[in-house]
This record gives sequence, C-alpha cells and structure tokens, in this order.
Amino acid sequence: MWEALEQMGWVKTLGSTGWMYASVAVTHYLTMFWFIGSIAIVDLRVMGVAARNRDVKELAQQLFPWAWIGFTLAVISGFLMFATDAGDWAPDDIFHYKLALIAVAVLFAIIVQRGARKWAQTPATPASAKIIAAISLLLWISTILCSSEIPAMRGLG
Amino acid sequence: MHDVLIAIAKWLEATPWGSMTREWTYAYPFVQLTHFTGLSIWLGTNFALDLRLLGLGKRRATAAELARELFVWNWIAFCIVLAGGFMLFSGLATTFIGNIAFQWKLGLFVPVALIWHIVVQRKAREWGLTKETPGIAKFAAITEILLWICVITAAVEIPNH
Repeated sequence: MWEALEQMGWVKTLGSTGWMYASVAVTHYLTMFWFIGSIAIVDLRVMGVAARNRDVKELAQQLFPWAWIGFTLAVISGFLMFATDAGDWAPDDIFHYKLALIAVAVLFAIIVQRGARKWAQTPATPASAKIIAAISLLLWISTILCSSEIPAMRGLG
Repeated sequence: MHDVLIAIAKWLEATPWGSMTREWTYAYPFVQLTHFTGLSIWLGTNFALDLRLLGLGKRRATAAELARELFVWNWIAFCIVLAGGFMLFSGLATTFIGNIAFQWKLGLFVPVALIWHIVVQRKAREWGLTKETPGIAKFAAITEILLWICVITAAVEIPNH
C-alpha cells in the first residue's frame, strides 16, 4: 500500500524534482516552527513566565488561529514528504512515536486553548493549568526530538 | 581571511563539544532539538508581531503591545537558537564553511534578516501605537517574513551541496 503511494506519478515527480521537494521541505520547517512557537508562547504565558501583562485568553485568541493554520500546512507538507519515501517511513517505529506524540500534543493544545477562557477569569492561574501547559510544551519538544532522531538513527529524511 | 576561518573551523571541530556532536550519535539529535526548539519560539514570536503589523488576525492587542510583551522570549529564544547552532556548526565546521548553501545562510540571509528584525521590533513601538498600522510597517513585516523564508530555504539546501 505504502509502496503504491510512493510509485504514484505525481509522488515520483515530487520526489525527483529538486525545487519541488525543497519547497515542500521549507514549508514543513517554516510552518512547524511557526505553529509550535505560537503554542509554546501561550503555554509559557499560562505557566506565568511570558507576556504576563497580557490576558491569557487574549493571547490565546491572538496565537491559536495562527497555530492551527500552521499546523494544517505542516501536516499537508509532512504528508507529501512522507509520500515520496512512504515505504521506508511507514514501518519506522520512531516515526510512529512521533505521530503518537503529535496526536497527544494536539489534544493538550486544544485543552489549553479551551482552558484559556476559564483561566483568564481568576486572578491567579490554577496550578493544574500550569501543569497542563508544561506538559503541552514538553510534548511538542518531544515531537521535535523524535523528528531529529529519525535522520540520526535511520538515515531517513 | 579565508585561512583564519579554516583555522577557527578546525579548532572548533577539535573542541570537546565539537567532537561530541560529530562522533556521538545520541548527542546530535539533542543539539538539533535545542536549535529547533529555539527556532520555534523565535519564529513564533517574530511572525506574531509581523502578522499583527500586517493587520492580519485578531487585533485586540496593538503591535506595540505585542512587541513589548514578546520581547523577552523573542531574545531568550534567539540565545537558544544560537547555542544550538553553534554546537551544530562546531561538529562539522570545516564542511559547513565550504558549503555554498551555508555560506548564503550565514553570510547573507541571517545577518540581513536579523538586522531587519531588530529594526522592525524597535519601530513597532511607534508603528503599532494605533490599531491601524502604516503602509511602511506592512512592507517591513512582509519583508521580514520573506527574509526568514530565505534563511530556512538556504538551511534546507545545505545537505544538497
């Protein structure tokens, strides 16, 4: 199935045309940095260490729409990169960890985004909120670690 | 000039941190992690300001307020990027300085983008006082985004040269 994806005409063109693959890779890195950074700033704000003069809710409303646009573009460009070498990526266990971590991290991002409305109403951010934000931040850092492990350990990507 | 660079590069490769990133398989991903985590917060804070200067997205906060509030983490992130990048560079310094994509990245795009960013961040204090930003602010913001795209493009091209 994954080999069939890899052998599709447009996927082969993408994989063998230097500027096309580079554009997709640039999009993936750019949007990945952008969305993780945007979520990280909200996490740091909830933890009480960044942008303390701005309301949690307001900062979340400022940054989360950008985070989700960036995330969507990162997923699309990531899938295109995956497709060009799908047969090798699909069975890789570090890649599986990466996808699983992303799924959990997205869940925490949604919790932080929804929680920001409530947490902004109390004078002090609840400790539970700070823990959730810290976990969210750690999860995203872990996804970057998995992404860096794959080329180092497998020579993929 | 070139001989001096080569000498510095050779010395960096021989330093303990240089040989560690090069030779120890487990070190490299953590060093890259440092560079990438810093980059995420660096570009996240940069783009948040640029997009506000462009007048896109939520406009409750002014660009001046955002510039002020994000300033500290913007530069903390820059230090993290620099530390990670320095370690990555030290591991393969002689290879990097001979790489044409790296030369474009560090010789041109990074200094220009960085100076541009500092100017935008400073000017945002006056451009961003009102809800509507002037045309010059929008031009400066879109240029900054394009400059960082140039930096990433050069970085992505490094393994291909």
